[in-house]
Amino acid sequence: MRYLIEPFGSPFMQRALAEALLLGAVAAVVSVFVVLRRLAFVSDVLTHTVFPGVVIGFVVAGTGGIVWGALVFAVLSAVLITVLAARSRVTEDASMAIVLTGFFAVGVVLVSRQTSFTSDLTAFLFGRILTVDRQQLVMTAVLGAAVLLLLGLLGKELLFRAFDPAGAEARGYRVLVLDLVLNLAVALVVVAAVRAVGTVLVIALLVVPGAAGRLLSDRLAGIALVAVGTALLAGWLGLVASWQASVNHELRLASGATVVLVLVLLYGAAAGIAALRKVRT
Amino acid sequence: MSEPLLVFDHASLAYGRTTAVEDVHGAVLSGQSVALIGPNGAGKSTLLRSVLGLVDVVAGRIEVLGTTPVRARREVAYVPQVDTLDAQFPVSVRQVVLMGRYRDVGWLRRPSPRDRAIADEALDAVGLAARREDRFGMLSGGQQQRVLLARAIAQQPRLLLLDEPFNGVDAVSQQALLAALRRLRDGGAAVVVSTHDLALAHLACDEVCLLNKHQVAFGPTDETLTPHLLRAAYGGQALELAGDNVIVAR
Amino acid sequence: MSLFADGYARRALIEALLVGALCGLVGVHVVLRKLSFFTMAMTHATFPGVVLAALVGVDLLLGSGLFGVFVVLGVSWLSTRPRSDSAAAVGVVLSAGFALGVALLSAQAGFTRDLSAFLVGSIVTVQTGDLVKTALVLVAVGLTLALVGKELVFGAFDRGGLVAAGYPAGRLDLLLLLLIQLTVVSSVPAVGTIQAVALIVAPAATARLWSDRIAPTTVLAVLLGMASGVVGLAVSQAYAVAAGAAIVLAACGFFMLSVMVAPLVRRRPVPVGVG
Repeated sequence: MRYLIEPFGSPFMQRALAEALLLGAVAAVVSVFVVLRRLAFVSDVLTHTVFPGVVIGFVVAGTGGIVWGALVFAVLSAVLITVLAARSRVTEDASMAIVLTGFFAVGVVLVSRQTSFTSDLTAFLFGRILTVDRQQLVMTAVLGAAVLLLLGLLGKELLFRAFDPAGAEARGYRVLVLDLVLNLAVALVVVAAVRAVGTVLVIALLVVPGAAGRLLSDRLAGIALVAVGTALLAGWLGLVASWQASVNHELRLASGATVVLVLVLLYGAAAGIAALRKVRT
Repeated sequence: MSEPLLVFDHASLAYGRTTAVEDVHGAVLSGQSVALIGPNGAGKSTLLRSVLGLVDVVAGRIEVLGTTPVRARREVAYVPQVDTLDAQFPVSVRQVVLMGRYRDVGWLRRPSPRDRAIADEALDAVGLAARREDRFGMLSGGQQQRVLLARAIAQQPRLLLLDEPFNGVDAVSQQALLAALRRLRDGGAAVVVSTHDLALAHLACDEVCLLNKHQVAFGPTDETLTPHLLRAAYGGQALELAGDNVIVAR
Repeated sequence: MSLFADGYARRALIEALLVGALCGLVGVHVVLRKLSFFTMAMTHATFPGVVLAALVGVDLLLGSGLFGVFVVLGVSWLSTRPRSDSAAAVGVVLSAGFALGVALLSAQAGFTRDLSAFLVGSIVTVQTGDLVKTALVLVAVGLTLALVGKELVFGAFDRGGLVAAGYPAGRLDLLLLLLIQLTVVSSVPAVGTIQAVALIVAPAATARLWSDRIAPTTVLAVLLGMASGVVGLAVSQAYAVAAGAAIVLAACGFFMLSVMVAPLVRRRPVPVGVG
């Protein structure tokens, strides 16, 4: 037990933990919808389209500007993607991939014009959860609260649309608007995650918890519970693992990546449990 | 005197620039049920969607409950085909029926005990109260169709639209569906149901609208389901057996 | 052409042309079968393979290729399980692969530099040996597609029919996934992971906007892939921007232009949701 607590003696580790838990919980709730609506690819696209915003924000206003740049691009891309998916003039699949890579390339071009190219790039893409400060925590909390509020208030309509889009449309719900809301929720999670785990690894937080929940439960409530539990556990254990590795085994493991690895292991465990259950019934 | 809940006044419907259905003309009165019959691609689903205000009316007009389709939507219920839904989706039967109450519950609010009572009653009306807590996908196709009907009933509509609800449905579920529809009509609602099943139309519907991209006929069942008119609607796909019996291919 | 006078620039150009052609060839099938997300996942999931290969000291192409085979098998298997949504499964694999790669890499020194090269490519440091390898892959993939291309298209359109006709549809599917994997692994040194997807998807999607038949689409995709390489490199040299990104933007640019222009030029409207 001491093993699991000892990393969190210092303030920076405590903040990292708080960030991981907050982010994980919010992302897990969103991931339930991501899995139900099969939005894994859309989420992946959003994590990449935010990147140029991050770079522009940094260039214009330093580290403090990252979140604002990300926010602007997050909203823009959520709108673009929602519209694209609705119109699907070209295969939706292909057009999403093109939007993703195009935006990302813009971000890379912008970064390459800066001098400290490589280290900035990594920080944007993979985050630095260990350098999270109080201001960032507040930002994550605010964004997280906004997302949870959005999903809480519109939850039943989002569920209806997810289950029966034709029926929802017939009932007079604007499916496009509901989709935009969900895409915005995903985009906001990406923005919240930018500083902590970076844009590339947040996709894990947006897909894996929900997927694990779906494996273990047939009820919306159950799925959400498992998803949040998995994310919280992964946040905690991931930080423990990377701290212990670095302090006791001289092995430097990027914290964000370790959290994701633990998350995937937990998914594997869930898959194992699900398989065992099936064998027994 | 029965009031007309749905009126087609020489209406033509189009998707973008392509005309889908032409010159539909007729009325559906309170307490009546109308069967929409025609081959695949005839425009039955399009017609149903136009009543919901989801398809453009390019000529004539459609009047629903005395007003435009869009404004009347609150009191119009639509029952889609089950196979459009994901059987793996983690919702219970009860949750699906409760979805029928959402519009009345409104944005930002949760369903009240009264909403839940209405939903339970609706489930009862289709004979599936016992399966309330089961996952929707675990029911048979016919049972799922009944649940969707219950969802529509929970809406307490004045006009009910059903898109081929009897396709591949077992006999028990078929009976349950018909019974529920009859009860709705007794309560004053009007029903429009698209179907391929001529026998069912004879059994359950007062009027028939024969469609094949345009209206072939709209009138009382006995007068409309004649070999002559059916052949006109189905083209070569209608096969006449001895006397008045006609078989139609899908 | 004075832009490409230097040795390294010329090698970069040849690599760009080879990679462009390769991606165009494979891209047609990716677009047909809506495998864009899968391809995306492949680029992420093969990342640890590259890191491992670099750590062990094995040739990168070989190492990541081998690793990639396992990933392909894993994703294929995951997608066939019932309950699990295949998109989520792909997402899990993508996350796992990338996190593993990052973790492995972070345990080394030189973390940020290697990562960058992997992510965004470094076409300008391509050696003659790499050119040869890419050329060989191009020939191999080209030959394979020439042999089974028809069957692959048939399977994309009507898998049931393919099985009924007696073909081993499952093995053909797997073969295609492996070809995609091989293409990804060969393209990564040039344009990086995330952008290999662009070169695979964009030229083919663009070609699809102009033609409804496989042969012209394939030819066009290859040409566009190569053109993106040339234009991108030229822009990169002229404006001092990352080469890989410039190539991707060229490919996306062709696509955007075609989205706007093709429906006007072709009299028939582009079929909706095609591919």
